Amino acid sequence: MTLVEARDLARDYRFGADDVHALRGVTFDIEEGDYVAIVGPSGCGKSTLLNLLGAIDRPTRGSVTIRGQAVGEMRDREATLFRLRNIGFVFQRFYLMPTLTARENVELPMAEAGLKSAERAARARELLAYVGLSHRERHRPTELSGGEQQRVAIARSLANRPAILLADEPTGELDAKTGAEIIELFGQLNRDGTTIIVVTHDEELAGAARRKIHMRDGRIVDE
Amino acid sequence: MVVQLAWASLRRHATRTLLAILGVAVAAAMLLDMVMMSTGLRESFRELLMSRGFQLRIAPRGTLPFDTDATITGVSGIVATLRMNPDIVTISPVLGSTIHVPIGDRTFTSATLGADPAIQGDYELLSGRDPIARDEIAVNDDFIRATGVRIGDSMRVATGYDPQLRTYSDSRTMVITGRVRFLYGAANQLATAMNLPTVQEMARLPDNASLFMIKVRDDVDVEEARAWIEAEVPRVSALSIATALEQVDQRLSYFRQLAFILGTVSLFVGFLLVTTLITVSVNERVGEITVMRALGVSKLHIVQQIVLEGVVITLSGAIAGLGLGLVTARYLNSILASFPGLPVAIDFFLFQPKAAWMSLGLLSLSGIAAGIYPAFRAASLPIATTLREEAIA
Amino acid sequence: MLAHLAVAFLLLQSPQHRTIAIDERLAQDAGIAIGDRLTVSARPGAPDGDTVIVSAILKRSADPAEIARSEYQVRMHLDHLQSVASYGDRVDRFAVATRGDSAIESALRDINAAAFGFEAHRSRDIAVGTSRTFQVVSRFHKAIGVITIVASAIFLLCIMLLKVEERRRDVAALRLMGISATTVVKGVVAEAALLALVGSVLGVGVGWFASQLINWYYQGLYRSPLYFSLITAEIVTFAVGLSLVLGIVAGFLASLRLVRTPPLTLFGR
Repeated sequence: MTLVEARDLARDYRFGADDVHALRGVTFDIEEGDYVAIVGPSGCGKSTLLNLLGAIDRPTRGSVTIRGQAVGEMRDREATLFRLRNIGFVFQRFYLMPTLTARENVELPMAEAGLKSAERAARARELLAYVGLSHRERHRPTELSGGEQQRVAIARSLANRPAILLADEPTGELDAKTGAEIIELFGQLNRDGTTIIVVTHDEELAGAARRKIHMRDGRIVDE
Repeated sequence: MVVQLAWASLRRHATRTLLAILGVAVAAAMLLDMVMMSTGLRESFRELLMSRGFQLRIAPRGTLPFDTDATITGVSGIVATLRMNPDIVTISPVLGSTIHVPIGDRTFTSATLGADPAIQGDYELLSGRDPIARDEIAVNDDFIRATGVRIGDSMRVATGYDPQLRTYSDSRTMVITGRVRFLYGAANQLATAMNLPTVQEMARLPDNASLFMIKVRDDVDVEEARAWIEAEVPRVSALSIATALEQVDQRLSYFRQLAFILGTVSLFVGFLLVTTLITVSVNERVGEITVMRALGVSKLHIVQQIVLEGVVITLSGAIAGLGLGLVTARYLNSILASFPGLPVAIDFFLFQPKAAWMSLGLLSLSGIAAGIYPAFRAASLPIATTLREEAIA
Repeated sequence: MLAHLAVAFLLLQSPQHRTIAIDERLAQDAGIAIGDRLTVSARPGAPDGDTVIVSAILKRSADPAEIARSEYQVRMHLDHLQSVASYGDRVDRFAVATRGDSAIESALRDINAAAFGFEAHRSRDIAVGTSRTFQVVSRFHKAIGVITIVASAIFLLCIMLLKVEERRRDVAALRLMGISATTVVKGVVAEAALLALVGSVLGVGVGWFASQLINWYYQGLYRSPLYFSLITAEIVTFAVGLSLVLGIVAGFLASLRLVRTPPLTLFGR
């Protein structure tokens, strides 16, 4: 089943007096259960594309539909709710809340979704166990290594059982060994049914994906 | 989770949070003091005037009670006129004068009030009994402390001092029958009480009074009674509690104005402190806030969390400020209470729960207002752009 | 000129009437003008007072003791007042002027030795004794001032803490580059001092403006030429000096906190 449909997506930015065309008309489909890596040199528009897919930015032109809903046209409140229920984000810099423990970080999206405390705690523990961090649930991000922080971030992204997991350079801040562990985790997630789109420079991570989309100068040049 | 995040954020920079609470506490204390001062004097004075139930006072025309040395003549005639009004329940004429009491090689000068002990409203008997007979006198604690006399002692009391001849026009021996507290007495003021005819005789002011204290029936319109008195006795001014308060308001309007200005400044300073703290705190956490938005946390919840931080600081400061405010109010009151001639019973700073609630309410509103703009601004930042800027930073 | 001529004319017409001077407040409130005939008596409402002619209207002096009192002032010839008030050949006090300050002591001594039942005082001593009300107000203002200074000090410290923490990464980078802690502290203190100085200057301006406003308002309210608020060089010097000191201390304490934290911790690692 087609999960994501992107049609002629474009995104322009204005920097001072100049216009920058970050995306110049990108079209593709993502099926449910896909594991896609978007690769390309710096500034090719891959992160911009991810932002549009994740409804955290709006296209200048074109459309993106996820589960039949046109996310590019949503108003802020609608988009926020859509992200909460359908999208899981993993960032390069983890972006965990430093004042919360690992478990509380994982609970955060569930709390926003209105789940009861006991339910949240149980699911958070389940997710932390899945990513191999049961023993670190009470630790704050400053007490965790980079790899552990990224695992917590991955657990957080799965909190509300999203339709799709978007990851922007998830191994960018990690050493090779830790990066490999994360790559393995993504593989496991996909095997368990999660649709994943990663943006990456990491050849290993790109290689682990089942499909690659190559981009250059805001366009898809190869699939 | 909103509450949890707000609390965690405040604890993250504990020193900063505590300092802000302290700053708000001082502002809150000042605000509470100013609210207390703006109504305190008036309420305190009103309570004093009403303490014995006399709703009206009569003074020589154009004057306030004991404002001048002028007296009202023809007391018995005035009393007879006033008795014609069935609404008037009690009439207490009072004459004030000065007495001199030689004890040993010193002479003590004291104020004295002449009134009918059965109906007077100027003093409260603390021990002993009222001075009823013509040779009886009651004294206050300041008099006792200064002279060393006791109840039961006899002493020489004189009036009408001629400094050139160093003689008195009247001098007699009086027995101290009681210890009294003068409701309108100033601090450290020597004061005594005798019955009215005695003071009139000694001061050579027969059938004179400095003022009349009047009690009317509870169901009577006091202003109507006041107007009747002024119409029937044109050479006096009748003052209701309302008119007396107006006079006080006018004379001491400076303190109300100061209270308003300082109260406003305190509120503004408290607001400024909290808003600065919240703004800096939010600017530091722009990345976190934007990520929460990316994760699907609504703008409303983010604004709620940040506003809650401001409210917690403000309320904590307000509660601490309540205690501090009561302490500083006592201190400031002790300074103002030394106004010469001010009745000891008057407080400039009167604690009324309404005042505390008002201060708390104003501060809470300012706490909410302080957080709203920075919170809303941060929650409205474009997610993608902000995340990229944070990554670069 | 014309008013005086009018009075002189009236006096010629009715030589038995004495003249009085009234203060401008009474003239304004009662609508009295020079040349008007009034009745004066020592007893309120007495029908048998003296008829007098108003010969002058006086400006009120800048006497603090008159503030908040709604008394009117009337000047009469001494013998006339003695007669109206049935005082006889008595006065409340004498005012004595000496030939120069050096004569005051000897005059005091001589009068006190000679006057039976009276005492001579320096005017200054009486002023001090009768100004207790203003001493109370002054103490009250000082207390408010102290509270304000304490609040400002806390506020200043809080703001400086926030300001330096905002730039902790910049400071961390400088420290890692080899800039000493002393240099960082000096920089922050200099910034705090400058802020305090600029703030003080602004504050003096606001204070001056507020002072003008206060005088304008209360002079009108109490109808007095008295200055209610006065900004002197000493006050300005004290205010600026104190805020500079507070600013520098706040900056120093805030920067101390910053330089005691290891640079990597400042970076958040």
